[in-house]
Amino acid sequence: MAVASLGQLVQAFCGFYVAKAGAELYNNKSEVILVRDGKNTTITMSNDFTGDVKDFAMVVPVPNVLNRSDIQIADRSIFQMLDAYSAPRLVEYYDANPCTPIIEYDVAEKALDNVAVAKPTMMRMLQDKAKYSVTIEAQYKVAEYDIVLLSAKNAGGLKRWLTDNGYQIPGKAEHVLEPYIKSGLKFFVVKVDLNKYDPKANGGFLRPLQIKVESDKFMLPIRLGMANSKGEQDMIVYAFSKQGRVECTNYRTVKMPTAKAVPTFVKPHFGTFYGDVFKNEYSRQGRDAVFLEYAWNVTPTFTGMKCDPCVGNPPYTREITMAGVPWANQNGVTTFFTRLHVRYTLDKFPEDLFFQETPNKEMFQARYIITHPATGDLSCDEGKRYTQKLKLRRRQELVDLGTLSQWDTHEYYDYVANGTGKIKKKNSNDENELFPIGGESGKGGPMKMLFFSVFGILVLYSLSRLSSYSTG
Amino acid sequence: MIEKALASIQRESYDPRYFQILYLGSFLLYGVSYLGWDTALPKYLSLFGAAVATQLAFSYFTTKKYSSVKSALITALGLCLLLKTGSIETAVLAAVIAISTKFILKVKNKHIFNPANIGIVTAILLSNDAWVSPGQWGSSVVLWFLVGAAGLMMILKVGRMDTSITFLVVFGGLLFLRQVVYLGWESSVWLHQMSNGTLLLFAFFMITDPMTTPNHTYARIIWAGALGAALFIASNFFYVQTAAVWLLFMISPFTPFFDRLFQAKKYAWSTPQKSTNPITT
Repeated sequence: MAVASLGQLVQAFCGFYVAKAGAELYNNKSEVILVRDGKNTTITMSNDFTGDVKDFAMVVPVPNVLNRSDIQIADRSIFQMLDAYSAPRLVEYYDANPCTPIIEYDVAEKALDNVAVAKPTMMRMLQDKAKYSVTIEAQYKVAEYDIVLLSAKNAGGLKRWLTDNGYQIPGKAEHVLEPYIKSGLKFFVVKVDLNKYDPKANGGFLRPLQIKVESDKFMLPIRLGMANSKGEQDMIVYAFSKQGRVECTNYRTVKMPTAKAVPTFVKPHFGTFYGDVFKNEYSRQGRDAVFLEYAWNVTPTFTGMKCDPCVGNPPYTREITMAGVPWANQNGVTTFFTRLHVRYTLDKFPEDLFFQETPNKEMFQARYIITHPATGDLSCDEGKRYTQKLKLRRRQELVDLGTLSQWDTHEYYDYVANGTGKIKKKNSNDENELFPIGGESGKGGPMKMLFFSVFGILVLYSLSRLSSYSTG
Repeated sequence: MIEKALASIQRESYDPRYFQILYLGSFLLYGVSYLGWDTALPKYLSLFGAAVATQLAFSYFTTKKYSSVKSALITALGLCLLLKTGSIETAVLAAVIAISTKFILKVKNKHIFNPANIGIVTAILLSNDAWVSPGQWGSSVVLWFLVGAAGLMMILKVGRMDTSITFLVVFGGLLFLRQVVYLGWESSVWLHQMSNGTLLLFAFFMITDPMTTPNHTYARIIWAGALGAALFIASNFFYVQTAAVWLLFMISPFTPFFDRLFQAKKYAWSTPQKSTNPITT
């Protein structure tokens, strides 16, 4: 799937947006929009299913039996829009020539290609209450979908019902279904109504389902999706709340590194760069954290900046309503937007994701900066000083690049000396040899060393007190 | 004369609060340096400043004993470790309320509320930019908390280990019965919930405060057990994610009743002799 155009390029207060690293970078990913309003949560689930639609099936545990009015169809474009708006971004600046201070501007943009992967499943529908001890609580036809809400008495019966009705349920799913049933959850089961499905509409894609549930629990069930243990999975959560940032309560929510200056040659490879920054940060944080990639006040009447700079157009009333926000039209109500990125595996994420709204309105964006050197004659005294400073700056950019992405910066030693920013691999004429060689992240850093030293001293000191206690 | 001074210094150095300050301080350092918390130095400094200033002001008009500044530092550290806020004003408000309630809300010369706890609760209720982040420690800090807490308890004989253990056993036991035995989750789910850093910080450093827990061992065990059971109900059936701070706030006014029911000597800081330890009295 190729990504649609990135929208209009917007000049912002400090620098230009030149590239983004959007959700399409990740292979095994899903996207969810969460809207929290008191006890109500509206969940919109993206649907990148690319197989034969008759094989499509989805099972989502929900806290209560949904009414027909709680189920809507959303427009696919809302995910692309929110992703484009909130993706990690690269901005570029231009140094002025200190000898002839004329400012030149040039902008470029780079879209990223991707391949979305989804899993095919078999689908067929029957019902037999007595045999399965499964109750069909409600049944709806919503656009191209056939929806059944089930309650079950035991996991074995539910699994048999799902299997006999053509859902391919992984072997280990039963262990996960059981706790959900005992917690009183219902199951939102979806297949495609082939009579209603028009393969020509919506670019051949199934449209996202948007459901509204009422519960004190503000959570996303991820355990069912891990039942067949596919290894690492990525999820991008776009959350809207009235108060401020949404954060995870049972895993750490960590900010992505931001506002770092990186070499100019990163520009055409920004997607790869950010993918590696994320991978590195994910390992460095112990593979069990949730990452904050964006947080901003997107209230339609908010007159401040909606992004800095904007990667895509900010969402306004129409888009915010499409995302499932019920208060978008109300005056004086804040709409705060949070983008969280979680990469999860069963060993590090044994529990479903629980969230809370916080009053934290601090804006945040994952933002990386490139600065082009001044051009023209730099032979004046000021120009010579500038050239020296430029070398120092570029050395630092290389160091930061290595720290952030684990790329082997020795490959790019020409960058410091070569003012044009062109890269040559050592002993090679191939200027495209740019990809990382470095291995996994080196854990730690000076702060960690400092902490462990202080902690170690404390323990030793305490032990000495212990001995003085026992002797005295 | 010199011997007297040395003895006084020695006595002072046995005050468990120094160690508490060092341990809590190292946790704050860990949070800021390694867990990537916001490094809002002005906020932390104002919070500490407000706590110490309030303590000194109240001491000046009451006891004139200034060694209690250590308690103010512990309260300030507790607030830094648990309370999140975007503004300096809220941080200062929490610190001032935390310390002043120690002097104002007292029964039999013992303050009713844990200072950090009431600071957090009032900051959340009175301001609109304070919150608690239960997930901020993650689950990989268990060892550090256990080492820190065990070290503190064993070496310094604050003597409130019984509160922590009862609380964790009751809460953990009920949670295990519900999550693993009844619902059928793997024990890793239970372990993940039990290793939450905020829970452990609460268990080892907040409900062990000798000044706001019942004096008698049996009373403390009942008190901590009730807190553990209440937390289990609030978090598993009402899904209140920050229930611990609210429950401690609600259970605190009952401490004087426990003290009346079970008579025991009030804890005193700076007591190197084992005979004055509350466990043995």
